[in-house]
Amino acid sequence: MVVLAASIISKSGKVLVSRQFVDMTRIRIEGLLAAFPKLVGTGKQHTYVETENVRYVYQPIEALYLLLVTNKQSNILEDLETLRLLSKLVPEYSYSLDEEGIGKTAFELIFAFDEVICLGHKENVTVAQVKQYCEMESHEEKLHKLVLQSKINETKDVMKRKASEIEKSKIDKNRGDKGGFMSMGSGRIESSFSDVSISSSGSGFGSGSAFGLTTEVDSFSTKPKGRQPSSATAPPKGLGMQLGKTQKTNQFLASLKAEGELIVEDVQPKAGQSRVAAPPPTDPITLTAEEKLNVTLKRDGGISNFDVQGTLSLQILNQEDGLIQVQIENGSNPGILFKTHPNMNKELFSNENILGLKDPNRPFPTGPAGDAAGVGLLKWRMQSADESMVPLSINCWPSVSGNETYVSIEYEASSMFDLRNVVISVPLPALREAPNIRQIDGEWRYDSRNSTLEWSILLIDNSNRSGSLEFVVPPADSSAFFPISVRFSATSIYSDLKVVNVIPLRGGAPPKFAQRTNLITENYQVV
Amino acid sequence: MEKSCTLLIHFDKGTPAIANEIKEALEGNDVPAKIDAMKKAIMLLLNGETLPQLFITIVRYVLPSEDHTVQKLLLLYLEIIEKTDARGRVLPEMILICQNLRNNLQHPNEYIRGVTLRFLCRLNETEIIEPLIPSVLQNLEHRHPFIRRNAILAVMSIYKLPQGEQLLVDAPDMIEKVLSTEQDPSAKRNAFLMLFTCAQDRATNYLLTHVDRVSEWGELLQMVVLELIRKVCRTNRGEKGKYIKIIISLLNAPSTAVIYECAGTLVSLSSAPTAIRAAANTYCQLLLSQSDNNVKLIVLDRLNELKSSHRDIMVDMIMDVLRALSSPNLDIRRKTLDIVLELITPRNISEVVLMLKKEVVKTQSGELEKNGEYRQMLIQAIHSCAIKFPEVASTVVHLLMDFLGDSNVASAIDVVVFVREIIETNPKLRVSIITRLLDTFYQIRAARVCSCALWIIGEYCLSLSEVESGIATIKQCLGELPFYSVSEEGEATDTSKKTPQANSITVSSRRPAILADGTYATQSAASETAFSPPAIVQGSLASGNLRSLLLTGDFFLGAVVACTLTKLILRLEEVQPSKVEVNKATTQALLIMVSMLQLGQSSVLPHPIDNDSYDRIVLCMRLLCNTGDEIRKIWLQSCRQSFVKMLSEKQLRETEELKAKAQVSHAQPDDLIDFYHLKSRKGMSQLELEDEVQDDLKRATGEFVKDADDANKLNRILQLTGFSDPVYAEAYVTVHHYDIVLDVTVINRTKETLQNLCLELATMGDLKLVERPQNYTLAPESSKQIKANIKVSSTETGVIFGNIVYETSNVLERTVVVLNDIHIDIMDYISPAVCTDAAFRTMWAEFEWENKVAVNTVIQDEKEFLDHIIKSTNMKCLTAPSALDGECGFLAANLYAKSVFGEDALVNVSIEKQADGKLSGYIRIRSKTQGIALSLGDKITLKQKGGS
Repeated sequence: MVVLAASIISKSGKVLVSRQFVDMTRIRIEGLLAAFPKLVGTGKQHTYVETENVRYVYQPIEALYLLLVTNKQSNILEDLETLRLLSKLVPEYSYSLDEEGIGKTAFELIFAFDEVICLGHKENVTVAQVKQYCEMESHEEKLHKLVLQSKINETKDVMKRKASEIEKSKIDKNRGDKGGFMSMGSGRIESSFSDVSISSSGSGFGSGSAFGLTTEVDSFSTKPKGRQPSSATAPPKGLGMQLGKTQKTNQFLASLKAEGELIVEDVQPKAGQSRVAAPPPTDPITLTAEEKLNVTLKRDGGISNFDVQGTLSLQILNQEDGLIQVQIENGSNPGILFKTHPNMNKELFSNENILGLKDPNRPFPTGPAGDAAGVGLLKWRMQSADESMVPLSINCWPSVSGNETYVSIEYEASSMFDLRNVVISVPLPALREAPNIRQIDGEWRYDSRNSTLEWSILLIDNSNRSGSLEFVVPPADSSAFFPISVRFSATSIYSDLKVVNVIPLRGGAPPKFAQRTNLITENYQVV
Repeated sequence: MEKSCTLLIHFDKGTPAIANEIKEALEGNDVPAKIDAMKKAIMLLLNGETLPQLFITIVRYVLPSEDHTVQKLLLLYLEIIEKTDARGRVLPEMILICQNLRNNLQHPNEYIRGVTLRFLCRLNETEIIEPLIPSVLQNLEHRHPFIRRNAILAVMSIYKLPQGEQLLVDAPDMIEKVLSTEQDPSAKRNAFLMLFTCAQDRATNYLLTHVDRVSEWGELLQMVVLELIRKVCRTNRGEKGKYIKIIISLLNAPSTAVIYECAGTLVSLSSAPTAIRAAANTYCQLLLSQSDNNVKLIVLDRLNELKSSHRDIMVDMIMDVLRALSSPNLDIRRKTLDIVLELITPRNISEVVLMLKKEVVKTQSGELEKNGEYRQMLIQAIHSCAIKFPEVASTVVHLLMDFLGDSNVASAIDVVVFVREIIETNPKLRVSIITRLLDTFYQIRAARVCSCALWIIGEYCLSLSEVESGIATIKQCLGELPFYSVSEEGEATDTSKKTPQANSITVSSRRPAILADGTYATQSAASETAFSPPAIVQGSLASGNLRSLLLTGDFFLGAVVACTLTKLILRLEEVQPSKVEVNKATTQALLIMVSMLQLGQSSVLPHPIDNDSYDRIVLCMRLLCNTGDEIRKIWLQSCRQSFVKMLSEKQLRETEELKAKAQVSHAQPDDLIDFYHLKSRKGMSQLELEDEVQDDLKRATGEFVKDADDANKLNRILQLTGFSDPVYAEAYVTVHHYDIVLDVTVINRTKETLQNLCLELATMGDLKLVERPQNYTLAPESSKQIKANIKVSSTETGVIFGNIVYETSNVLERTVVVLNDIHIDIMDYISPAVCTDAAFRTMWAEFEWENKVAVNTVIQDEKEFLDHIIKSTNMKCLTAPSALDGECGFLAANLYAKSVFGEDALVNVSIEKQADGKLSGYIRIRSKTQGIALSLGDKITLKQKGGS
């Protein structure tokens, strides 16, 4: 299924144009094309020639041959289709179908051939499409140019305004020096005002159009996003084949089997989803308390934002366990505000710290094992400006010496948490090779595409509450190393929320339950 | 590794563009002039100029251009320039283009982006590509399918580069993601192709996940799916069970290309009868539904392959295949018949013959121009059916005999030869055939058919009534005697006696014809052309066919008539009790013979009778006057015996050929053995699966080089200069199909550095140098390998001349060392081939170039000489070995070969042993082109001496 080359040669054997689509040497292609006129016979009613190694599929066009060189395994039906398309294209680009005409339009023909065949594979295009592709008339380019032009105009206007302002201020200054004539000045201001209003309306037009256009562009660019789910969510069905199959193919398969062919009926992809999320809960009742950290630290110390959002979710495997209440114990952290789900009995919670539904006869919704989310029971939020609350603080010191920049980074973790899977990503200026790491506690990795240095520490506990990294890069502005972003997780949380007990409403022994706590970073940056 | 060539454009050398002009135009602001200059620059580059100074101009003035055409031409330019230095490192200035490429990749015009991405597919230099990768990846998510399509291909090509996996670590991941969301069929195909080539397991995984939707996919994607299935099953045979279902579902695809591919895949995957049957069925359907002749022919090729590997299944399909005869194209019909003839079994023979008969009848009604040829093909087909299964002969022979009088001589000859064979092999049919033949004899128009029919009459009329009606038929066809009126004879005989000398000249001017056994026979050239005899000779009665033929001067036929009559009379003597009747018949026969002789010696015909025919007729007359037992035995029995012998010889040869064929298909010693009882031959046999497709592609692009044994290589080293020359050179010549590669080793034998050393080559004959020579500098006593490619465009002996030119540092003038000539042997281009006798004859008559070489040899034995010629010319002897047997002192044989360019070379060897034991005679070479005739003649002249 590979077209080696598409060529036009004259009946006398002169190669006028040839475009190769796979790697082949010049001598080879010239040899193949030179042999062709000798191989093509006259008076035959078919238009292909096979040699030991290649197949030529051709079509005479007046005094020329349009020719495809393919390998012998190539699909003749497809090749003929391609040839037909090319033969329609040639007259479109070359007005006279003789050596001279082809020679004049050789490049245009090559461009057209390129659109039809890609790396030897046929493209599904029509003559009109090829013409469109070759004309390269782009709506977007026009828009781009318009935007560019309007920006230029705008800038020019701004420049003019600024110039007039400067002039005005100069004059004003002169006025002021001289003592000033208000009436004259007001007249001046008026005129300059009208000037400004004109120019602003001009720029308003410019920016207005630009705005309209950009929104249009935006709406274009959102399209692919909208498209994604439609195909992504199509559920894979293993049995579709079975349904569509007629009796006949069943027989066919049966007879194939009888003859000893191995037929696998239900084919499942063997490599499953490699991404394994948190192991599904095995206990009948699981309570998960999770806190998300949104922290922005300033590069020279101080907090610009510190925000913790927590949720307590309940997951019940079996419906019969649904009628329960949950007794919790919240730590004595005064900065935390709890909010219950609207369906919860608020009084019960505020008085007794018990979470239960308003209607005691309704069970909690149950979910399947795979659904990790569960039902949210309780939410809380904590904000603080206290630096001591920050679990991990980062110090970054870029310093230029000679034609190199030394960057040393250190972290300090508060003793509140043991942090796991800490990754500190430092953006770097565009580099050709990985930075030179002088010293490091932990491991590093250089992501050349995003041009970031990732410093990872598996676990920060009492043994390494602080650590440092030092590396050397070519000279760069110190702001190039920010914002540093940090990811980690921990198993203890700010609110010492604990589930004390699960009370079955129907009586009986309290059912078994599991409790999980989890602290993760959502957005943790040093800017 | 040689550089690959991506485009060729015809360059007219008449208008040389000067680099400076191009430069000026490029620097200007005029866009059309710029475009023109770019085109010229590209053409110059393609033509071998390097134009290094132009690069910077282009970087400065062309890169910033906004014009789309200029940008596209720029990409072409970048595609063909040398981007690396001699050591394969990227030239430093190439970094200059990176920025431009990156801008193009982010260009608002989607087509500029697309073509730039496409250009990246053809780029091999990692250093240039690396900084562009982020931009390429961005384009994967562009909203325009044109860009996505090309971006995917660019990712694929980059990933396939030697360091590609490091450049794009997660390319398969990304493409997989793209594939899952992609809607554009072409982009989807490209994405799947990328996974297929770069991460096969992901591709299979995707395929298996979407197994139920394969049939809804686009045609392009389905094709790649099939390719993938083939590849997977080739490497991992256990997996194929999973895929057969997919193929079966695709067999119902709307696109014929997919169906065709499916059938091919099915065959390569399984040899289970059901699978093969399904594939064959599909092919047959395509054969009928597609109107394109090319498709039909190629599908027939596929069926032919199936036939040789799975004959038992194809036998059932025979009637479906036969339906292809409905196409009016002769090539298709011929191929169809070829396939069908090998599939005939006792079970289907009657059906097939019925069909063939119907077709024969159809040719009679229609007035298509090729009908005659087609009928001939059908008759030959029926003929071979009848030989294989004699029982059908009776059903067809009578139908065929209607065609004895066909205006198409070739088909009539086929019929009569067929009848001759049947009458011998099927004695039961003899009586009916003879009766029929005698009835239809008067319809026969062609002389050659007549003579063959006469022979049959002479040999197979056995009973009294048959013999008598035979004689009567001949007499009737000859018409009233004499052949011309007596009144004119008086004057005529005088003139004829005066001009025998002049006549003998005209005799020799007749074209000699080669008989089936390879000997020359003198045959009147006029015999087959329509010739209306003068009215005076016509006689009074409406003449029979024999008469009109005789009157055109065909005395060879006359001799045949005489012999037939003699045979019939001799037989009549045996079966007729009444002596009177015999004598009466004898005198009548004698009268006919005498009239023929008279006609031959009269002046009413342009040519008098030739000596051979005259002798023969006279011999017949003598015989009839003076019969004896010895003579009778020769005439009545020996003829038949030698005919029987010829038939059995023919059969023997055929069976031997079959045996030879069967031998070839026997298993090789290292083949895998399939144990019948464990698992029958239904698995894929490894042989047919060996990376067929890959090899095919490699062979097609010329990458596939068969490793010749090295000893052989060393034999072909040519010394080009002497050992005492300052530069020693030797060459190793490799002859490929269409090109010759000279591998020249140049050694500097001096203590000085040679500068600007250049190997200049010139050629004679149909050879062309591909590249311009380059200059090298050669250090003292160092050596250098220089490669030169020479293109060959026809079969003929070529000569390559050459010099080595160099300068030394102290002497400024150039020194020239002349090289030995290199002769390219024609033998490398021709290979033995086979063609039928008839084809050989027509070609012999058609071809214009003849080279006649007189035999001059020390070899004493005819046979040995022939073998020597065959061996030294690398041709195939068409004459059967049995015809060359025996010690008769003379020998004639036809040799045939074909060149790689499809030209035919015909050789006829006719030699006679002289009394002194020497061989004399001629070797004639005929071909369509002068080159072959000349070079082959030279070759033979050179080699025929023999002895050594």
